[in-house]
Amino acid sequence: MNTTIISKVRDSQSGPSNEDHSAYIKWLKNKIKKGELEGAFHDICEFVNPRMDYSLQFKVARLIASIDLYRLGLKPIKIALVSTSSIEHFTDILKLWMAVAGYQATIYASKFDTVFQTILDAGSDLYKFEPDYVWIFCSYRDYSLDISPGDSDELITKEIQRVINKYKALWQVLRKNSSSFIIHNNADIPINTCFGNLDGAESWGRINCLRRINVELSSNMVDGATIFDVDSLSNLVGKSNWFDPRFWYHSKHAFSMDAYGVVASKASWVIKAAEGRSKKCIVLDLDNTIWGGVIGDDGVEGISLGASPSGEAYVDFQRFIRELKNRGIILAVCSKNDEEIAKQPFIDHPNMCLRLDDIAVFVANWNNKADNIKEIASSLNIGLDSLVFVDDNPVEREQVRANLPMVAVPELPDDPAGYIAAIADCGYFESVSFTSEDKIRNTMYRQNVERKELQNEFSDLSSFLQSLSMISKAGEITLEVLPRVSQLINKSNQFHLTTTRYSESDIQSMLSSNEYVGRFFTLQDKFGDNGLISVIILKRENKETLIVDTWVMSCRVLSRSMEKFIHREVVGIAKMMGVMRLVGRYIPSPKNKLVSGLYKELGFSLIDDVDGVTTWEFDVKSIINNDSIFINYA
Amino acid sequence: MSVIRKEIQVKLQEIFVDLFDDDGIVISNDTTAKDIDEWDSLMHITLMVTVEREFGIKFRAEEIGQLKCVGELIDLIVERKG
Repeated sequence: MNTTIISKVRDSQSGPSNEDHSAYIKWLKNKIKKGELEGAFHDICEFVNPRMDYSLQFKVARLIASIDLYRLGLKPIKIALVSTSSIEHFTDILKLWMAVAGYQATIYASKFDTVFQTILDAGSDLYKFEPDYVWIFCSYRDYSLDISPGDSDELITKEIQRVINKYKALWQVLRKNSSSFIIHNNADIPINTCFGNLDGAESWGRINCLRRINVELSSNMVDGATIFDVDSLSNLVGKSNWFDPRFWYHSKHAFSMDAYGVVASKASWVIKAAEGRSKKCIVLDLDNTIWGGVIGDDGVEGISLGASPSGEAYVDFQRFIRELKNRGIILAVCSKNDEEIAKQPFIDHPNMCLRLDDIAVFVANWNNKADNIKEIASSLNIGLDSLVFVDDNPVEREQVRANLPMVAVPELPDDPAGYIAAIADCGYFESVSFTSEDKIRNTMYRQNVERKELQNEFSDLSSFLQSLSMISKAGEITLEVLPRVSQLINKSNQFHLTTTRYSESDIQSMLSSNEYVGRFFTLQDKFGDNGLISVIILKRENKETLIVDTWVMSCRVLSRSMEKFIHREVVGIAKMMGVMRLVGRYIPSPKNKLVSGLYKELGFSLIDDVDGVTTWEFDVKSIINNDSIFINYA
Repeated sequence: MSVIRKEIQVKLQEIFVDLFDDDGIVISNDTTAKDIDEWDSLMHITLMVTVEREFGIKFRAEEIGQLKCVGELIDLIVERKG
């Protein structure tokens, strides 16, 4: 959903211009009354903007509250806010932005200023609520430090550590009592300090001490938790707009209500990321998007890239895209061009930041872009809803929006100097963790496309698989691989039999009991290393039975006999444990249709089917056909 | 009633209808929170934030929660607008 457009004038048939807010809201209200929920919801998502003033967002939030979001298929999610300030006005706005992000949020708000009591009391309403997310909503006022001007570094460090330890203990209790994901506000550093500049210059200065608090909060964070960087948001809004002490004195509002939209929308993106729903791939147009001019007309020497103000902007935009790649976003090109001509700048232009091997899929032809984008998604084996399409041409954008509504298509300004902000403002690529797999993801996807090309040269699948010289390592889940294991379990949607979601600490506590056994699997072939691509968690149900509690696999390695390899490994584990049978379950989700028949393919027999939730059984004495496994142990 | 007060009341009338989402509201100088169901302490804050924005004024922290009726609100707006 694009949130950067402040307003768009609509045609007369679709209601009043949304620039007249009052009339537009009335029109939306009517639309909801008439039962056109889906249309109204769509219009609201297009209309609302994080920077709108509080009164307006309040009215929009009320419209959203009058829509049965469940009927629109939004995913329910439970968020608990434990706060040291007034939160009631904020929760309405948070519900609004969660809805825009695709979630129907139920919110629990603790009583005013009872953060510690609420979290420390294992019997509190907080835990009865069973939240998916707990948001510790504090502000700079909660990080009060006993530091005097001129104090030694040693004293300052000790005092900062004291405050950090207080929160660390709180997080640990929360971890112990609940499996929810923790979001914790850092300090929104105030501006009006009594030493002025010196407060940001001396190590004992108030501003510097709070900066250190913010750094220390991040480095002490426990797993399954993230710092919510409120300080950056207060910078974005502007400190003098952010702070409104009148409403703190009057009713304990921690910061200006006009900033609620910015905070709530950012939080919705972070939660969406924690839910594994961030975008994975950016699909780029070329002409006038990553360079100025038209390569087919202007040639490599004629395009604008560096050497002029807008040329500089294009170079900077490419640099931004390359940084996205380096943090795990897949890059694809979709351009109306002759392929050879389109590739020339990537090879010959000295100012190109992006190179051909940065691009996982390169599509340049004269077909319509919606079809090409479908092609790109399928060759990468990712869902269309994980793509962002960037094109300077409004006609192309509209065509893609109309044909592929699930693809995110941000508006781009006329001036390339605004491209970075237009993409960055949308929160498409938020993330709550970073793993070594993220660093090399683009390379892995590119290799996959090369594999597909090789596959086309072979007449049968087995000789192709044989030619890949695949090796896999199966290992126990140790601390080193835990972040990636948890990421895979929480981010995978398609190859995920039960869609179970476990935090790192959940996994640790499960595996430390005798009941559970976990394995991870890597896969390497002649094109490169795919890294850790599958995780399986088995539960010993009783003496006879081992249950497949969780089985996830990256779709990058589908149809490579990996699932058969894992199956054989699991049977081996079962035999070692002395159980007679394996039981697997398939729980349908909107996204895991892919594996509905997996157990059948692996030779399991169906023993139960309740509303599509199927249970399958495998006798461990059954013979496994090794001929159809093309992977060797590393 | 002075022209200025009348103008302010007309604008407030619109704000009230929009904010309390009720076309039936008719405000007068004597209207108080008791007369409007939705006008609780939370909505009062929303109302004050909205009035500040619509009239381009700022209330003092003390004044935000003190108003007894619409008449007093109009007094305050007149005073702030100078």
